Amino acid sequence: MTLRSYVIGRVLLTIPMILLLLTLVFVIVRILPGDPVLVHFEKQATPAMIEEMRRQLGLNKPLEQQYVDYLLGLLHGDLGRSMADFSSVSQQIFTAFPATLELSIYSMTIAVLLGVFLGARASRSYNSVEDHSIRIFGIASYAIPVFFLGMVFQLIFAIDLHLFPTGGRVSLGMIPLGLSIGGFHLSTGLYTVDSLLEGNLAKFLGAFHYLFLPSLTLGIVLSGIFVRLTRSNMIETLRLDFVTAARARGLSERAVLYGYALRNAFLPILTMMGLQFAALLAGAILTETTFSWPGLGRYLVDRIAFRDYTAIQGAIVFFGLLVALVSLVVDILYAYFDPRIRF
Amino acid sequence: MQGILIIVILLAVAALGIYFTTPTPPPATTTALTTALTTAPKFKDTLIVGTTDSVQSSIDPSDAYDFFAWGVIQSLGSPLIDIVPGSAAGPKDLAPALAESWSVSSDGLAWTFNLRQGVKFSDGGEFTAEDVKYSFERGMKIANPDGAFVGIGYDSIIGSIDVVSKYQVRFNLKYSNAFFGQLMAAAPSYIVNPRYAPMQYFRINYTEGNARASSPMDLGPYVLTSWTRVGGKDQEMKWEANPNYWNAAAGIPRTKHIVMRFYSDATALALATEAGEVDLAYRQLAPVDIQRFQQKPELKVWKGAGPGIRYLVFQHSIKPLDDPRVRRAIAAAIDRKPMTDVVLLGQATPLYSMIPNGMAYHSDVFKKLGDANYDLAKSLLAEVGYSESKKLTLDLWYESSGHYQSSPEIANVMKSSLEKTGVIQVNLHGVDWPTYRNNLRAESMALFVMGWYPDYVDSDNYLFPFVHSSGGSWLHYNYKNPEMDSLVEQQRAVSDPVKRAELMTSIQDLMTEDAPLVPLFQSFEWAVSNPNVDGVVLDVSMIFRYYLPFAKEQ
Repeated sequence: MTLRSYVIGRVLLTIPMILLLLTLVFVIVRILPGDPVLVHFEKQATPAMIEEMRRQLGLNKPLEQQYVDYLLGLLHGDLGRSMADFSSVSQQIFTAFPATLELSIYSMTIAVLLGVFLGARASRSYNSVEDHSIRIFGIASYAIPVFFLGMVFQLIFAIDLHLFPTGGRVSLGMIPLGLSIGGFHLSTGLYTVDSLLEGNLAKFLGAFHYLFLPSLTLGIVLSGIFVRLTRSNMIETLRLDFVTAARARGLSERAVLYGYALRNAFLPILTMMGLQFAALLAGAILTETTFSWPGLGRYLVDRIAFRDYTAIQGAIVFFGLLVALVSLVVDILYAYFDPRIRF
Repeated sequence: MQGILIIVILLAVAALGIYFTTPTPPPATTTALTTALTTAPKFKDTLIVGTTDSVQSSIDPSDAYDFFAWGVIQSLGSPLIDIVPGSAAGPKDLAPALAESWSVSSDGLAWTFNLRQGVKFSDGGEFTAEDVKYSFERGMKIANPDGAFVGIGYDSIIGSIDVVSKYQVRFNLKYSNAFFGQLMAAAPSYIVNPRYAPMQYFRINYTEGNARASSPMDLGPYVLTSWTRVGGKDQEMKWEANPNYWNAAAGIPRTKHIVMRFYSDATALALATEAGEVDLAYRQLAPVDIQRFQQKPELKVWKGAGPGIRYLVFQHSIKPLDDPRVRRAIAAAIDRKPMTDVVLLGQATPLYSMIPNGMAYHSDVFKKLGDANYDLAKSLLAEVGYSESKKLTLDLWYESSGHYQSSPEIANVMKSSLEKTGVIQVNLHGVDWPTYRNNLRAESMALFVMGWYPDYVDSDNYLFPFVHSSGGSWLHYNYKNPEMDSLVEQQRAVSDPVKRAELMTSIQDLMTEDAPLVPLFQSFEWAVSNPNVDGVVLDVSMIFRYYLPFAKEQ
């Protein structure tokens, strides 16, 4: 099979997967007990008001019709209007997503750096006290709920030491504007990037200041799996002949470890980064709530309480598409790097 | 080598920390902002308020129907009549605002307001009687099914509005209305700026990057200067003192700038309060945090009578709850003290009438049935045929998703006090809020607990929506007593306060006879601030007056 036909086949496979996801989400939010119209009216509501609201939200139509409308809307990139406040769901998702993306990028970076560094160290000092301590750290960080670690960090770094804020994304008036040259305007929604584009170091440090605790929390929780993976891969690799050969040539232990062994053990770690993407988004939901981080995770949690069908569907479909896209890219990259996968 | 690397990283983190902590001691943000904005040496110019609330959809009176949006409307706008801060919101507690004076015709059907002259909108236009007419007609014409104009039923109260002269406006009511003054002080009755609130729009929506276009309000103590929402939730909001405010000469607002910071939940807000990130925290703090803060000298805890109540509802269509003796027995057996003292840590007070403590016409009528009055409960149930060998089995439902604070614990306390009678057995059912609402409409819950915040601050808003058969239809609990209906209608229409007080007594007495529902407790309102903050007023009016607090320079 050529790489091209593999990619085409893989892309085609994604379509039924996404369709299945869309259908499941559509059905599940409607099976959940609770009616968005009733949640809407906290207080008095006459049957006429309820009927009117149902009509406005399109909930009076038969379910099949709602399903078709929903799919047709999606084809146009329209996720519908929120059932809680009638705003465009696509727009709400696009305003909330950059915060989640920024948190994810930094968390993943911390997780990989920390995980690989500790895993490599553990493999070098196999079966020593250091190795055991790092393994315990790996297990513990994997087991600790992210909101618990988040609160512990808030207590230590925000309340006792006053080093970092307890939550939020930016201090007042410090939202970076991005790049503006004449009529051209570019902003990514990632505050650390936008502040650099604007050329404002104070805003960059401000954004980083708020980003630090949440991304450290999520990074540590995600690092456990990388510690274990790096360690076990490195231990195996270090036993291989080419490592012995490298040592025999008199290379320094450091060069052997990082230049030879780690490079070879890195491919599974790359795979894991792709696989961990879904875990990262799940972790982001809890981290965002703990740190009042205005991202997509918090948006989803808020909207579930309102039974805001369109918003829940929108957010889950968006998450789903993202995960599908990332795994598609990982698979294609893999096929590119390792031809065995294609056959 | 690696050891050195670790040390370098640790040093870098520490250096970063030192960078952010030096030289300003906490609260860093407050001090920095104040230094930038200071003009008066005595009071701080900026107050940072933390909250877990968020505007639900908009700050347009035609649409907004949530606590925080109303607070914003009441800070950016002005009503014709205001409620005196710290009062019981009775007939004598109404204060002139945009109306300097008003008069009511002898039949109570015409309310004439004499408007303040020379009041300016932010765009320079003068405020006149036309603007009053416009504001109310707009709300009633848009008739947003989701908004308070429809929810409260303005068009069932107001017949027409006449502009008598430039500074005089008359409301012709459909029936004589005892609480019309209080209704004029409610957030939907705040005057909008017609230039920013066109009639053809369903509501004025949040517009990114344009605070002026996001708000139809004007004439209030503050002007909205910036507002950022992400994913339909507030992220940042800033208000600045309105230079044109009609009451500016009285030194209102006391703080020039209000900055709102938004937190995801009570824990996050409590942590931020403790870390000194906010000057004032208002809504929602958990009881356990408030109790902790009360012991901390570096924080000041503010407490006031709140308008929020919790009550137990009987589904009258489920037997034997159609029998008043059974309902009275349950009302007598309930023990309120453990709810307020143990579960809510003293942050609520037992309530013995649907009308809350601190509000005009309140009377502790349910004390007649008592608390944990097991003897009365047993004898009433014995009349109906229940005994220790033939127990009354009840299904008690509660909301378990945090919509009401500590609901599961409250339900547990209720179960235990009812079971202490020895003749009642309670099965508890907890469901999340959306399911709860569904069940309520399906009339499937025998006993269930609900909460209430008023739409307008008058005792009527604690009676008509509950014990009147049409007003209470939204509760789907099938209570109908023609005598009660008639009494409630009379108190709504009577203009003589003495006559109204008599009617209120009869209604509350009849309520203990019938026990259609049982008042449980009333929550206090809480705010927590830095010790240098003063002037916070928390009262039964449900209006948080952001224009009153101020902070002394430390």
